[in-house]
Amino acid sequence: MHFTEAMKMTVFSEIYGAYFRIAARVLERNITDEREIKSIISREGFRDSILFLPQKLIPQADFSDWRLLMRTEDGKLKRVTKNPPVRILTLLQKSWLRAKLSDPRIRLFLGDDEISRLNERLSGVMPLYVRENFRFTDMYGDGDDFGSESYRENFGKILSAVKNHEILNICFKSRKGSEITGGFLPLKIEYSRKNNKFRVYCFAVRDGGISHSGTINIGRIEDIKNTGIIYDGKTDMKKYFMSRRCSEPVTVRVTPQRNGVARFLTEFSSYEKHTAPDPETGGCIVRIHYDRYDETELLIQLLGFGSVVEIISPPRFRQLAAERVKKQYDLIFGNS
Amino acid sequence: MAGFSELIKNYEKTRDYIRDFFIFGFKVRNEYNRKSSRTYDDEKRRIESWLGEYMTFERSVKGQHTAITADSGHISENPLYQTFCSRSFTDNDIKLHFMIADILYKSGYMTLRQIVDGINERFEEIFDEQTVRNKLREYSAEGIIICRKKGKTAYFGLSCDTVRSFLDEYKGLEDAVKFFSENDEFSVIGNSILKFADIKNDIFLMKHYFIVHTLEDILLYDIINAIREKRYITLNSFGTGGREQKIVPMQIFVSVRTGRRYITGFSREHENFGSYRLDFIKNITPGGVCSDYDGIKKIFDENSKFCYGVSFVKSREFQENIPMRIVFRIEENEDYILERLEREKRCGEIDRCGDNLYFLTLRIFDPNEAMHWVKSFFGRIVSVEGTSDEVKNRFYRDVQDMYALYGGYEDDGVQ
Repeated sequence: MHFTEAMKMTVFSEIYGAYFRIAARVLERNITDEREIKSIISREGFRDSILFLPQKLIPQADFSDWRLLMRTEDGKLKRVTKNPPVRILTLLQKSWLRAKLSDPRIRLFLGDDEISRLNERLSGVMPLYVRENFRFTDMYGDGDDFGSESYRENFGKILSAVKNHEILNICFKSRKGSEITGGFLPLKIEYSRKNNKFRVYCFAVRDGGISHSGTINIGRIEDIKNTGIIYDGKTDMKKYFMSRRCSEPVTVRVTPQRNGVARFLTEFSSYEKHTAPDPETGGCIVRIHYDRYDETELLIQLLGFGSVVEIISPPRFRQLAAERVKKQYDLIFGNS
Repeated sequence: MAGFSELIKNYEKTRDYIRDFFIFGFKVRNEYNRKSSRTYDDEKRRIESWLGEYMTFERSVKGQHTAITADSGHISENPLYQTFCSRSFTDNDIKLHFMIADILYKSGYMTLRQIVDGINERFEEIFDEQTVRNKLREYSAEGIIICRKKGKTAYFGLSCDTVRSFLDEYKGLEDAVKFFSENDEFSVIGNSILKFADIKNDIFLMKHYFIVHTLEDILLYDIINAIREKRYITLNSFGTGGREQKIVPMQIFVSVRTGRRYITGFSREHENFGSYRLDFIKNITPGGVCSDYDGIKKIFDENSKFCYGVSFVKSREFQENIPMRIVFRIEENEDYILERLEREKRCGEIDRCGDNLYFLTLRIFDPNEAMHWVKSFFGRIVSVEGTSDEVKNRFYRDVQDMYALYGGYEDDGVQ
């Protein structure tokens, strides 16, 4: 048993660090050269690693390098080790895996038999945490049923299609309750912890070509049929997201009352945004970019801050807020 | 340049800067008054080196604003994971890391002496036994080296649990690691497995993703360990004169909506349960075992049923058994609003109380905590009862202020 030792581990350790990773990458090659080393550092290191790392990897006359490479007669560099480095799972990583085996979502990826074999293999390792260590105070109550056989099957087909670029025939219920059937090319799978749901980003396919972008909640899928058709065109996620992006960001003024700035910026840290100080109020002005299809969610979230947040623009979005404010005012104070 | 290193020994200070650059992207240099401006410059340069493409710099009359910006819904890897890859080490650390593994590779188990001799012969490096012993001990604790004893002699061998062997044997595990590497607490560990295996998450994206949480995950080891061992912990806060709180840790509360996380626990000093923001905590010191942990936990479990968010402060209304009651107006064709209420409510029940009127009854310690969520139903709230006058009046004032803010008093022409 390695229980206590595993709990003292930390991921902030050099064995998971960038320099060890780069050194391992270099040592995978029996023979290398300075150019290749510098190229690996530039690709896998931090921005300034190129200033510090080459002289530690490349043999130096004063032996100040790490002595992991030696120079050959023809000027190349040869590793001093006989074998390429091995990547061994640490106890910390195994205890993390063990914890994940108790997560209901693991069944979307592994069969029951595999889960039990993996549990057996990790039986000497304490899970890093148990689910009871955490309480998600405001997770929605209608999350997906990850344990359902049909859900697992649908998820598996979508996962496989994302990897293989296969077009699927999907029948699902829309948000408004109507049934939609068609060909779709799944691109990425998205998970929201707040909603505890998965959905899939996809392109609708008509007559063999892409017609438009969309999302399908996996929990709303009623049937999936494989088509065996592999899409061999290029899919660009940047273009996909741009097609859904708001035409104009929402600009809001956040005032410092009731610790508003800190509360707002923490809650909105998951949005793409630009923040500038607002000398007028001592708060800040924030421009928020969002997915057009999430507009209502954004409006609701902003209104939750009450008068601490004022929506400045665009006028159409401000008007949406103003309508709700007017309605609310009338409900409380009447139409006087 | 002299003396500057992009690697660090201590994560605490850097964590605080990264959080500020990410959350408060509009601060300027002189607003970071924790330490000297040289410290600020070094930290900024280091963070720039780690997170280059995610850093933005803008000028205003106040000076240069440094920010970390990332659209967390559209990234396949949390950029802040990079910051964990920056731990400093000695030359001997990295030499021994590769040399010991090379000596033990496919060689079965060896004694300390054999390993030391092997290193000295193969690499022409002279290491004393003590140095190698310490590294072997450290790597045994990490699980990289397996130590077996025969009599009084210890034998060391490489663990055969390579990342590849796991990913190849359990089909589907690779995809699972990709998913969990961007989701939930300790996700950075999943990312470290991907990095070991030289693969990247190319399948999953996360919505409502608070990437900054990963910075605080470093505190969670000590907290969970203390919960498991039923120990006290002392929380040391950031800031000059940072406060210390000694508590019996109970559970970590995560708000997936506001992005705040708390450690909840019992304070002997104040004789009550409390919640402490993780992002305000600099470090945690484990203490002694709490002899009546189970008794406290039982009371905590009873109490936490009435926590709407994280507050354990019992309002007068709660003590007088008056529930919080919010009446909503929901029109006939607005079933989706009712569905939203059902989906998002907690600690309470919804009932119909008239034509298009529904009331939500909450039995919670602190009604004030529910108001942020209640206000997200702006335009449908008919009344709020069962709270203090202060909470009620603040809500009414908010409605009036917003009405004024959106021009309601000027032309009453809000369409």
